[in-house]
Formats: sequence, structure tokens, C-alpha cells
Amino acid sequence: MIRIENLTKSVDTSEGLLTILDSVSLNIDEGQAVAIVGASGSGKSTLLGLMAGLDKATSGDVVLDGNSLNAMDEEQRAILRGKLVGFVFQSFQLLPSLTALENVMLPIELKGDSAASEKAKNLLARVGLEERGHHYPNQLSGGEQQRVAIARAFATEARILFADEPTGNLDTATGAKIVELLFDLNREFSTTLVLVTHDERLAQKCDRIVRLVAGEVVSDKETSARQGEVASV
Amino acid sequence: MSDAVSSLSSNKSFSTLFSLALRLLWRDWQGGEIRLLFIALVMAVTSVTGIALFTDRLEKALLLESANMLAADRVLGSGRQPPQEILLEAESLGLRTARTLSFTSMAFSDTGNMLVAAKAVSDAYPLRGEVIIADQPFIRGAPIVSGPPPGEVWLESRALPALGIDVGDSVFVGEAELTVSKIIIAEPDRQQGGMMDNAGPRLMLNMADVEQTNVVQLGSRVSYRYLFAGEELETLDSFSEWIAEQYEGEYRIRDVRDESEEISDALNKAESFLLLGSLFAVLLAGVAIALTAKRYSERHYDYVAILKTFGCTSNEIGVIYLAIQSVLVFVSIVFGCLLGWLVHHVILRLLEAVITVDLPAAGYQPFVIGSLTAVICLLSFALPPLLALRATSPLRVLRKDLDQQKFGANVPYAFGILGTIFLVYWYSQDFILTTVLVSSVAAIALFLSVLSYFLLRSSSSVGMKAGSAWKLAMTAARRRRKQNVLQVMVFSVTIMSLLILTLLRTDLIDDWQSQLPENTPNHFMMNITQSQIDGIETFFSENDVQSNAFYPLISARVISVNGEIPEPEDELGADDERSSITEDAQSNEEGGSLYDQARSELDSTTANASTEEGEADAEQGQVRGRLGRRQVTWADELPRDNLITNGDWWGEGAAPGYVSIEDDYAGWLDIEIGDRVEFEINQQTVFAEVSSFRSVRWDNMQPNFFIIFSPGTIDHLGATFISTALMESDQKILLNDLVRLFPTMVVIEIDALIEQVQNIIAQVTSAIELISVLVLVCGALVLLACVNATLDERFHENAILRTLGAGKRLILSSLLIEFASIGALAGIIATVGAEASLYYLQEQVFEQEFNLHYWVWIAGPLLGMVLIAGLGMNSTREVVSTSPLNVLRRVV
Repeated sequence: MIRIENLTKSVDTSEGLLTILDSVSLNIDEGQAVAIVGASGSGKSTLLGLMAGLDKATSGDVVLDGNSLNAMDEEQRAILRGKLVGFVFQSFQLLPSLTALENVMLPIELKGDSAASEKAKNLLARVGLEERGHHYPNQLSGGEQQRVAIARAFATEARILFADEPTGNLDTATGAKIVELLFDLNREFSTTLVLVTHDERLAQKCDRIVRLVAGEVVSDKETSARQGEVASV
Repeated sequence: MSDAVSSLSSNKSFSTLFSLALRLLWRDWQGGEIRLLFIALVMAVTSVTGIALFTDRLEKALLLESANMLAADRVLGSGRQPPQEILLEAESLGLRTARTLSFTSMAFSDTGNMLVAAKAVSDAYPLRGEVIIADQPFIRGAPIVSGPPPGEVWLESRALPALGIDVGDSVFVGEAELTVSKIIIAEPDRQQGGMMDNAGPRLMLNMADVEQTNVVQLGSRVSYRYLFAGEELETLDSFSEWIAEQYEGEYRIRDVRDESEEISDALNKAESFLLLGSLFAVLLAGVAIALTAKRYSERHYDYVAILKTFGCTSNEIGVIYLAIQSVLVFVSIVFGCLLGWLVHHVILRLLEAVITVDLPAAGYQPFVIGSLTAVICLLSFALPPLLALRATSPLRVLRKDLDQQKFGANVPYAFGILGTIFLVYWYSQDFILTTVLVSSVAAIALFLSVLSYFLLRSSSSVGMKAGSAWKLAMTAARRRRKQNVLQVMVFSVTIMSLLILTLLRTDLIDDWQSQLPENTPNHFMMNITQSQIDGIETFFSENDVQSNAFYPLISARVISVNGEIPEPEDELGADDERSSITEDAQSNEEGGSLYDQARSELDSTTANASTEEGEADAEQGQVRGRLGRRQVTWADELPRDNLITNGDWWGEGAAPGYVSIEDDYAGWLDIEIGDRVEFEINQQTVFAEVSSFRSVRWDNMQPNFFIIFSPGTIDHLGATFISTALMESDQKILLNDLVRLFPTMVVIEIDALIEQVQNIIAQVTSAIELISVLVLVCGALVLLACVNATLDERFHENAILRTLGAGKRLILSSLLIEFASIGALAGIIATVGAEASLYYLQEQVFEQEFNLHYWVWIAGPLLGMVLIAGLGMNSTREVVSTSPLNVLRRVV
């Protein structure tokens, strides 16, 4: 589903060229849940941004569902994102001037789907917020905002879901509930999940953990959860 | 792969994007995000439409009213009958025409006779304005748009008792016996005939009766006037050009601006002021739009980034924001035009008392101008930062600190500058004014930014030594130096514009009011002999008429300066030639202004004003001709509105042999203080030493002189006297007795002229006041927008400070100090800038004398401090009244 080939990202700084990602190569299968872990500044978020086509690599390529991002301009990448990709962010990124329901409706509407309202209401119900649809983000708690964001991420039935520290802004108990919801929905929609986190417990819930140190992949292992799953099969 | 890429196409329909745009707009409106931008746009449209509607209608009305003074749009005057083909050409162009013929004549009745100012008018007279007639003398009367029919005459009230007749009786004008059918109370062009029309009460007759009177003979002193009126300005202009080409200066078409210096001056200055005012209003609204649009777009970076992660392309983002802008501009235009229309109606309501004419209906043009202004403002000020949103990186969703694309940083300013230049040129239609205004604003902006940059830098070291609120404020000011420099610049330019307009307005109005104060004398009396002075003074005091000083009047010519014949290179400047009623100039053109007429009349009425060029040799005669004769006087005291610019005025009991000269005239003749000047007066030679130069206010309708001698110098050479008096309308009947008692005296009545000038000045003053208020509102809007522009950052910082334990008082004091310091700095810079700009504007554009406005040097900085601190505190008070968590959550 996602193929990463020798991906390198460098930026110019006042102290010279800084390499954030160095020749990273990965393959992520359809339906797989992969955690990218590492310390702050290890390049996790940069890798996520490049995989989602939010940024352009210095060299190497990302191929999403057979589409080489390298060969595309920003316009084409945007269209591809609209068709393939959903996001969940650490800071929720809800539009403050839209209600919870409108936030979930937005990507559905952008796809030109006339049943946006119906679908969004179903999703809000699925994340337990059917009563809060007309509230604005600043009227919702952090956990509720993230649930809206999750509902929005699944709204377009995206085949790949990128999640950047989805529990980073939440307390442990709320974070646990959000993670549960995220994985439930992931299974339900058979989405490929790429999750950036430095929370080891969260990472352990994925099928695979890719560990980054200073922009390089230092390990790429299947988790016990995956192994257990394989064993049970 | 390539197939996969090429299959990628956006399926978002325009209606999807448009409905999203509408939703965003509505939400932003509800959240208050877009309200300031909308208000700024509406203000721009309102002020431009309102001002355009008002000036359009007022200017038409003023021209109409001014045209009433001529009884036509254009006039051609001559001492001999102009060719008939001129009238035919005018009629072929579709202009309306009329003729008048003015002459002085004796009118006889069975019981008396008197000198009257006769005016024969053709049937079409008057082309503009109305003649006011009554059935009885000394009553108000009613308007009529015609002159008397053949066989009848209309007489001014005071002529009836003098002739001992009533309405319905007959009078003889020359050989014609005519019936007095009406009393003439007022006529539109009463003042335009000059001395010929002011030599006595008016007798108006029909042109058809002139031949019968047999008064007008070859060589008679008469004044022919052809009147023209038309609805199209272009036709009138092309007709004037035709006259100029056809008659090569022999005949000249004049309009109201040529006829009255005072009115054209007031109109020109008012137009310049209105133009300047509307320019400031648009520019300030433009700056407000730019600032609010920039903030709006900054707050939308995140929106765009999220939309892009959901698959919106840059073009689609462009469509969404273009749609938002289009809707916004459309609604602003509708509201702005409506408000502009209301504003202009309010102005007209306020001015109901002074606008005496029916205003012509407004055209559609002011609305077009207002609407286009909104579009241009938006295109140049708001669209660039909003379109820059297109380039927002979607990566912002992961990295909020990501620098906004470089495109947005400078391009908007370039667009803004281009838009500004275009707007200035579009409004003024004046390339030079545009160049001057744009380059001076650019120079001021550059200077201000450098100055405020350095001032803010140094302020940090001063502030660090003070208490903690100071420290906090000054470090905050230093940290935000870049934004603060921009803020100080915007504040300075805004306050500067407001100061310029306020001071200019005050100076203009003061100037006009001092030119024609309430008790300005409205009658001139000339050709008075020394022996008559006491009698005239007694007559006035007995009849409660306010009279003034008597100035001796004598004709003199400069022969040599320090023994050498002066050879001025240029002609005397137009301003100096304009001179005053007492001065002798070269204009002998019939049908000229009152002053021209008075001057030429003076030539013939002043004793011994003979021409002697024939007696001298040709070369000297030429120079003498150019030097010309001047009406001179002698005086103990410096006359009103005269200021000594060099040397000293002699006090009382001054020695004879000194002369004071008007400074421009002295410069023209290259005369220095202490020079010995030779004059020829009544064929005698007089020498005098120049003891002072004076500036003279020529437009004050007072006796004014180029040359004043010290008492005792020329007293023995024989002079007549001139004086002025203020007579109310109910005192005018006294003129009959006055002229009967002192038959050689010439009275010039300028009361109607003064009243008209005062009326027009009152109108333009009110207009100017209102424009100032509109600009003030625009200025306040800019200040508010500018304070709001850095609000987010302040909110965030202060929320963090509060979280860390800073008290309300500390935060409020530091905010107050920061805003007040920025305001005071902006006020100081604005004051310097305003005085510098006023120097240029008053000296070059408004032809006023520039004086420093000392109170502004205190008021300017104070105003800046109070305004900015007030607005700033008002906008940021929420910082301390909202919980830090809410603030942080909102801005994160």
C-alpha cells in the first residue's frame, strides 16, 4: 500500500545542510497498522508528512497505492490525499468556526457527496458524540475534540490513515479510550494505519514498530500483538 | 504510474466550493473574524460614494449658484458692440443667448431727476438665476425669469422717492417715456457691470426701447454683454475656444471664476480640500482593509492547511477565497452605497439653510466610483494576502511553527502601493499631484520607519532601568520591534492625516472668516474732497452707519530708484496685478470684474491722471508705461491686514519724506530699504526714502495700497479721499440723501457681492467640516485594525504570563505603557510630518501663509498616546478577564 524508497529529507539551516531523514526505505501492506517511534527530533513527523504527501522529499520516493508522489506536483498530491488519505493530529486541527458535525461533514462535502450530513451524523454517533454535533470545538473537551477528529478522518472512507501523536494532548484515561476507538474503527474500515508516537504502549497495539534515531531506521519489528494474532491464526 | 497520476482530477464542483465559502464567511462573520474587514470595506465605499455624491451635487449647485451671479454660464463683455455672428454661432451650437447693455443716464420725472445705472436686457434675460421684483418699493419681492417688457422699466426702490414717483408713473430715459411697472429688488448679475452698474440705482429696460431713448451714441461709454448658457460643459468650452481662435484675444469669454476672485478662490480651495479629504479617506480605509485582510489571512493559514490535507488543491483554495471576497465586496458595495447615499443626505439636511439653490439630481457616477473603489481596494490591499493563502503548505498541520510562504511577505505591499498610486491618480486626475503625494508619503514612510526603528531600539535600554511593568512593556515593545515599527508607521501616517486635515480645515475657515468678517464694509465711497469729509462723517453718525478711516488717494508713478530708471524684467505677477479696488492696473477691458471696472473708472475720475508718455522719449515712455501709475496714499497708522516685513513703520508724528512699499512690488522694482525713490505726482517730482516693506492682504475688500507715504510728504499735492462704510439693507435708502448731499462722490455698492461670497464660503465650510469627520472615522478604523493586527500574539503572551503568576495589574500596566509609548512616539512623528506637509500644502496648494501650530506639538503626542492606549486597552482587556486556559486554547 505504501512503498518508501531511499527517502531523504534535508533542509538548509544557518549552520549548513541538515539531514532530517536519511535514506529511509519501508514497505507497508494494505490493512497493516504501523507505529513509527523515536525520540523528539528523530524525524518521525517528517517521515509522516512525506508519506502523506504533505511535503516533498529531497531525494527518494513515496509510492501510495501505486502513485509515485515524486512525480506529482502539489495539486496532484492534494487530489490524491482527498481520494486516499485521512488524518488524525495531536492538536486535533478542527476548524474552530465549524461545529462538530460540520467538521465531520467537510471532507465528505469536498468529495461532492450529497449525503454528507447523514454520513457525518452516523460517524459522530459511532464515536459517541451524537448529542454534541452542534457544539463548536472550543465547547468540547480535548478527548471529545479528538473523537470528532477521528470521525472526520474516517468520514471519507480513506484507505490510509495517518495519525500524528493522537493521544499527545490527552490525559492517560482519555488517551486510552481514544486509542481504543481509533483501533476499532481501523479494523472496521480495514484501513492502513500509520501512527507516529513516542508512547510505547500505544505503539505495541500496532502490527509493526519502526524505530527512528537521527533520521535513520534502526529497527523494524513486528509487535507481540501481531505475533499473537498470527499465532492465533 | 503515469496513468494513475493522470487519472487524478478533482471532482469538487464549483457549487460545493461556493457553499463551503459561504459557510466559512458566515462562520467568520459570527465569530467576528471578518467584521472589521467588512466595516473597513463599507467605510471605503461609504466615504467615497458619500463624498462623490455630495461634491458632485454641491459642485453642480455651486456652479449653478455662481452662474447666477453672471445670469449665465459664460459672458462676453466689450465696450463696443460685438459682432452678431457670435450670437449666431452660439445658437447653432445649441446654446441659449441673451444680451445686456449697461450705461449711465439721467432719469427724469415730473418732480425730480437722478443719475441711474441703466441696463437694457433682451427678452431671454436672465439665462441663469432670477430677477426679484415687487409691486411696492422696500418689500421682499418675488422671483421672475425675465426682464421688463418693451415700454416698461423696473426701478430700484430708492430711486422712487428720489424721483418722487410711484409704481405706474412714467419716467423719461433720454427721449423715451417709459412706465415704471415693477420695483427691482435684486438681479443676478448686479455686480458684474462694474462702475457702470454701481453709479446709481438700477433702471432696467427692454433692449427694444434703447433706440428710442437715443442715449447710446457712437462713442458713448457703454458696456455690452453677451450671455450664454448651455447644459453641456463641453459645448460651452468648445464655444469659448471658437471665440479665442476666431477673434484672437479681441473678445474673451469669461466664466464665474474669471469674474470673482473671491469665489473662485473659495471654490478652488474647497475642491482641493475635498479631493485631499476623500483621498485620505480612501487611503486610510485601504490601510484598514490591508491590515484586517492580512490578519484574516494569517488566521486562515491553518484552515487552508487542513483543507489541503483533505484534498483541496491550491486552485480550489483560490476559488473558495475568491468567492468569499466576491460576496464580501458585493455586500460591502450594497451597504456602502446605501450608507453613502444616506450620509450625503444627512450632509444636505445639515446644509439646508445655506444651500439656497435646488440641487441637481445625483447621477450614477458616484455609485460607480464607490463600487470601483471597493473592488480596487480589495484587489490591491486584500486579495494578495488572501491569494497568498493558496501557497500555504499542508505540512502546517504537523508543524504550526512553519514559516508562512515567502510570497505573502512582500507582494501584498507591492500590490497595495500600486493600488494606492492608481487610486490617487484616478481621483485627482492630476499626474503632478499624484507624483508629489505618492513620493512624499513614500519619503515620510521611509523616514518614519528608520526613525521609529531606532527609537524603539533605544527605548529598551531606558525601560530596563524602570519598574517591572515598564520592563515588561519595553521588552515587549523591543521583541515586537518589526511589527511595532509597522504599527508606529501606520499610526503616525493616520494621526498625521487627521492632523493635516484638521489644521488645514481650521486655517482655511479662519482665513476665510478673517477675509470677510461679520462687519466687513460693503460700500466704497470715492472721489471725496477734503472739505466733504466732516459732512460725510456727520451724516453717517447721525444715521447710525458704521464708517471707517478716510484715505487720501492720489495717482503717482515711480520714475527712478537711487537715480536710475528701474527695469523690471518680468511683468508683475498675477496676484499683484489683481490688486485691490484702490489700485491702478492696466485692465481696461469692459465687462471685467468689479475691481477691473473700478480701477479703470478710477483712472478717469482721479484728478490729473493724465498720460504723459507722449512727452517723454520713446524708450523712457515704454518703461514708464510698464511701471504704470499707482494710486498712493499717506497714513499715520499701518492699515488693517498690512504687516511690516522689513524695516520699521513710522510712528505718530513721523517726519515727512518716507515711503512704505508693498514687498512684492518692491522686489519687482528691485528696491531696498533706505533707497531713495523719485515719484512723479501731479506733474511734480517727489523724493522719498524707503523705510519699510509691507505684506498686503489684497482680498479683504478694503482700500489697499502698493505705496504709502509718511504724513507731510505729498499732502500738498492735492488728493481726493476714499472710505468704506457698512450699511445694512434697510439703510440703503440713505444712499439717495448721501449722493444728493455730496453729488461729486462716487459710491460703489458691493453688499450683494459680499453676501454671495459669504454664503458660498459658509457652504464650503460645512462641507469641509463633514469631510473631516468622515476621514476621522476612517482614521479610527485604521487605528483599530492596526491594534487588532497584533492582538493574537499579545493574547497568547499575556495568557502565558498570567499562567506563570503575573497579576492583572502588572499585565494591564505593561500593556498600557506599551500602547501609550507607541502612541506617543507615533504622535510625535505625526506632528513633525503634519507640520512639514502643511508647510508644502499651505504654501503651494492653498496659497496660505504657513505658521507653526504650537499647540499641536503638545496635542499631537498626547492624542497619539490617549488614542492608541485607549484603543489598545479596549481591545486587550479580555486578556485579563478571560481565563488563561481559554485564551491559550483559543489561540493554539
